Amino acid sequence: MKKLQQYPVPENKTGTYVIELLTKRILALGASAQGQFLVDCESYLSHPQMGTTKTVHIFHNSEQPASVFSILDTGSKNIHVIADGLFDLLMMKLSQHYTSKKQTKIESKGPRFELGDFCVKLGSVTMNQSFKGILVEVEYRPCVTPNAVWGLLREFLQGFLGPSVMVQAPQHLVSRMNEIYTPIDTIYQYLEHFSAYRKITGMRTA
Amino acid sequence: MAGMSAANAAPITATDSLSQALKANIIPNQEYLLQGSVLDSAVEVLLHRLRGLCDNVDAGPETFDDQEVCFSLRDPNQQAAPLMLRVRKALDYRDMPFQLRYIGQPDLGDKNRPTVVRSSLDIACSGMLIDFLNELGCRIEFEYSVKGYMFRKGRMKITVAKVFKISQGSMPPEPISQSYLVELSVLAPQGQDAIAEDMRAFADQLRPLVQLDKIDYKRLGHMGVT
Repeated sequence: MKKLQQYPVPENKTGTYVIELLTKRILALGASAQGQFLVDCESYLSHPQMGTTKTVHIFHNSEQPASVFSILDTGSKNIHVIADGLFDLLMMKLSQHYTSKKQTKIESKGPRFELGDFCVKLGSVTMNQSFKGILVEVEYRPCVTPNAVWGLLREFLQGFLGPSVMVQAPQHLVSRMNEIYTPIDTIYQYLEHFSAYRKITGMRTA
Repeated sequence: MAGMSAANAAPITATDSLSQALKANIIPNQEYLLQGSVLDSAVEVLLHRLRGLCDNVDAGPETFDDQEVCFSLRDPNQQAAPLMLRVRKALDYRDMPFQLRYIGQPDLGDKNRPTVVRSSLDIACSGMLIDFLNELGCRIEFEYSVKGYMFRKGRMKITVAKVFKISQGSMPPEPISQSYLVELSVLAPQGQDAIAEDMRAFADQLRPLVQLDKIDYKRLGHMGVT
């Protein structure tokens, strides 16, 4: 199971400063650096002639490089499909029906670390090349049932990020704590956070 | 050390790797196709011949039993023809992913061109694909099930299959004709026209058991009307 957590950037500090601070902290705990990661999202809006506006969010995650995650937001519910890489080409074929909102293309990328059974990723979120905030992703790899591992994950995050950060169960998972966690659940957490970033001009602090 | 630096380099974005693949022309987005049909009474002889000619003879031909739903998505500007999308689901392997297919307009070319060529995207999908397409704005045009045999010969795929109406309730599915549909196809990147010649040569080896040809659907449509 994974938990995605927004980490507030202190006033008068930069994103780079926070990434360096958290990197020092996780290395001091004994973690080893294991490359970089990248999660990106591009959203497409339906043509006005097609009725109620619908949004297709297309996600890629470097942890699942052969997959494209697609979430259709109908306004009342979300429907997802996980497809192979050619789905991106299909979106090009649909360009008459769904147009990309290029200026809201958003991504989180940065270093990833492994610490025993945990995998920690420190992501700098940028939208349209402007820095928006920090997202910390923590995974406890041996367990896929959120209910069984959530307590442990929260304790780890609280210890790692400090008491100033409120750690709550992901909204998307609240009703699914006993179901098996799969990669699309991570994508839903990114959607939740990316949507919050898009609503705010400038940096997200809380 | 080279390996180390590669591991620490930022991952290439999906958009970049896709445009690289497009530039290198390695994406199989063209389908070369020949079609024909045989009567039920003659299918055994054709299957026997295919068993002799094709690659996967030891294990016997692979069987399949798929349901296909065809969707259309109207052009919001009403200028282009509707976009067609097809979803296939294996009825005999229920936990396999869906196959989502985009098929473009078939190009028959002149009589020197050996096969029909049409653009095609074959995408494996899991999740709630039917709901997804419905909500996306697609409309179901028709559906059917198709059951038969699949053979391989190098890059060529040969299917011999029967098309059924979708059964209502507990009734057994009703075949739409007394014949089998035979298809010979290859998915390849753009410009690999040599494969079409190989297909024509292979189709000739199946004569006179089945005559595989470039089928013009527009003409078939007119025949239906008159």
